[in-house]
Amino acid sequence: MRTTARVVVPIILIVSISLFLQGHNLPGGGFIGGVLTTTAFALVYIAYGLDFPRVLGHEMEPAESVFEDPVVVAYRRTFLSGLAIAVGGGLVPLLFDLPFLSQTYVILHDIPIYHEIELASALVFDLGVFLVVVGGLLTVLSVVGAE
Amino acid sequence: MTDQFVVAPMLVALVSIVLTLGTRRRLGTQIALSVAGALAYAGTVLAIVWRVVFSPGASPVTYQLGGWPAPFGITLVADALSAFMLSMVAVVGLAALVFSVSYMTPDEQRVFYHPLFHCLLLGVSGAFLTGDLFNLFVWFEVMLLSSYVFVAFYGRKKHTRAALWYVVLNLVGSVVMLVAIGGLYSITGTLNMADMARRLADPAAFGIRVEAVVGLSALLFAVFALKAGLVPFQFWVPAAYRAAPLPVTALLAGVTKKVGLYAIVRLYFTVFGATRLSVSIPGVGGDSLLAFYGVVLFCLATASVLVGGLGALAADELEGVFAYSSISQIGFIVVPLAIGAASARPAIQHLAILAALVYALNHALAKSTLFMAAGTVRSAIGTSRLRNLGGIASHSPALAGVFFVAALSLVGIPPLTGFFGKLLVFDVALRAESAFGLALLLGGTGLTIAYTTRVWNRAFWGEASPAVAASSPARVQLVVVVALAACIVAVGVGFDPVYRFADAAATAATDRGAYIDAVGLTGGAGA
Repeated sequence: MRTTARVVVPIILIVSISLFLQGHNLPGGGFIGGVLTTTAFALVYIAYGLDFPRVLGHEMEPAESVFEDPVVVAYRRTFLSGLAIAVGGGLVPLLFDLPFLSQTYVILHDIPIYHEIELASALVFDLGVFLVVVGGLLTVLSVVGAE
Repeated sequence: MTDQFVVAPMLVALVSIVLTLGTRRRLGTQIALSVAGALAYAGTVLAIVWRVVFSPGASPVTYQLGGWPAPFGITLVADALSAFMLSMVAVVGLAALVFSVSYMTPDEQRVFYHPLFHCLLLGVSGAFLTGDLFNLFVWFEVMLLSSYVFVAFYGRKKHTRAALWYVVLNLVGSVVMLVAIGGLYSITGTLNMADMARRLADPAAFGIRVEAVVGLSALLFAVFALKAGLVPFQFWVPAAYRAAPLPVTALLAGVTKKVGLYAIVRLYFTVFGATRLSVSIPGVGGDSLLAFYGVVLFCLATASVLVGGLGALAADELEGVFAYSSISQIGFIVVPLAIGAASARPAIQHLAILAALVYALNHALAKSTLFMAAGTVRSAIGTSRLRNLGGIASHSPALAGVFFVAALSLVGIPPLTGFFGKLLVFDVALRAESAFGLALLLGGTGLTIAYTTRVWNRAFWGEASPAVAASSPARVQLVVVVALAACIVAVGVGFDPVYRFADAAATAATDRGAYIDAVGLTGGAGA
């Protein structure tokens, strides 16, 4: 189980990031990327148990309730910052007198290796969704898992 | 083209969710932000009301989210009907939030109470503003997800039981709604409500089979009746209303239920009403799809008025009485809609929607006042069982006065808001010469008088019971309910602008052409 996890987790993470990056014009996006990232974490949890952040060498005091556990607090922060990024990203177009959630993109030329990269503002919203999904699902997973 | 104020109530609610989530550890800051958010919400609604109804040159305003054009992008439509519903949300929401700051203990408020409250506001305002059928489903879900948490909020046995019922029923409802919307999309080829209305008015040109639309709209109708709590879909109402925190119940009864009604008015009168259909039902005129719903609505309304009224007579808690009473009151709101739908005359349809809206406003104000008054009783005395209460009138005249005003408004005594609601509803029944409707309204009013009198006698009159004598109502809560009661009186006394507002809303609901024009779709073929 642990051997499998060691091999598979990096692959899952890379696939999830590529899904996340292509999301604005191909299948994929923040939600799917986030869910896939969460499955990577879930696999680690299954292989190493709920205490895996401690196994990694982080010394942490055991918290009184699972809600106060530093890892869960970090997940909740992820959730909140994701929500803030998504809403904030949606609000930016208002400054330019465009409707809520308006998007645009620029194509950067002459980048080494890639030659040209499309930089879409939808990525900001997607990043928010990604963080909300990862933070939310991992909070649920660790809190319910602890019970 | 960017009229940002249309989307403003939703943005305010969204930002409030983020801010209150972020300040969870500092309760004082969180409460301040939450109340500020509710105030800002009321301000944005006021801006919409001014711009869409009262300002010179007022007209419906649309907003394309993300700049995608209709009918492909999601359209928000702020017309008088949406504005009327939103102003109810703003008043009741602000009052309920201030009330809950005093009513809920600090520990309870820390458990995501404020973010969820704004989430509920977000869902409700989204549902009132959207002009897209699938988007309506999404906002229904946003609203329902937060209300699920509220029904299960206290987490004891009976709350969990009520929440289970509520969640299962509404999930089934959501699935049915999704199926119906999917079906309508495959038949009409559009999800934009204005576009759908345009296509249904001329089904042959778009290759639409009208029979299928009838069936799917009936499926959709069952879902809205479920959300509005009409008999025979009422069984979740009493348990859920008793389980949720009382300020939230005030919002659920006062506003969330109206989302179902709003959807019925918007979809059936504005959109599906365009469909021509030969109807052969005795006693029903008209050649529109609406005529069919006139009969259905009338049966549901009759059952709601009777079941709700009788249930309220038998309930043994204040919340129980008010929960059953709200089933019956929703029946009262639907009676004019039924008469209007069955009538072929546009004047009566217009008057019917006007009456239903004024009655809905009355119900929103009076019922949320009553639920919050029950909350005040509960937090001061510790119980709301009628048998442990008595003599509140001599002990706390202000609280009794609030109940008195709100109950009389439910019954329909001038000069309160309820009087005009009742007057208009009776007017509709008289003009449509619906003898059965009149009898039902009279009987229902009799039941209302009976159950409000019963509560007054048991809880407010007579000698103060030991529990009542030892209590003192919290000042903030009293101030909120007194303000709401004052609102009921004020709307009744200064009824003229409210009438104009409701009149504009009814016009918006029946004037299909203006709605389609506002969204900017030109008539004729092609999308």
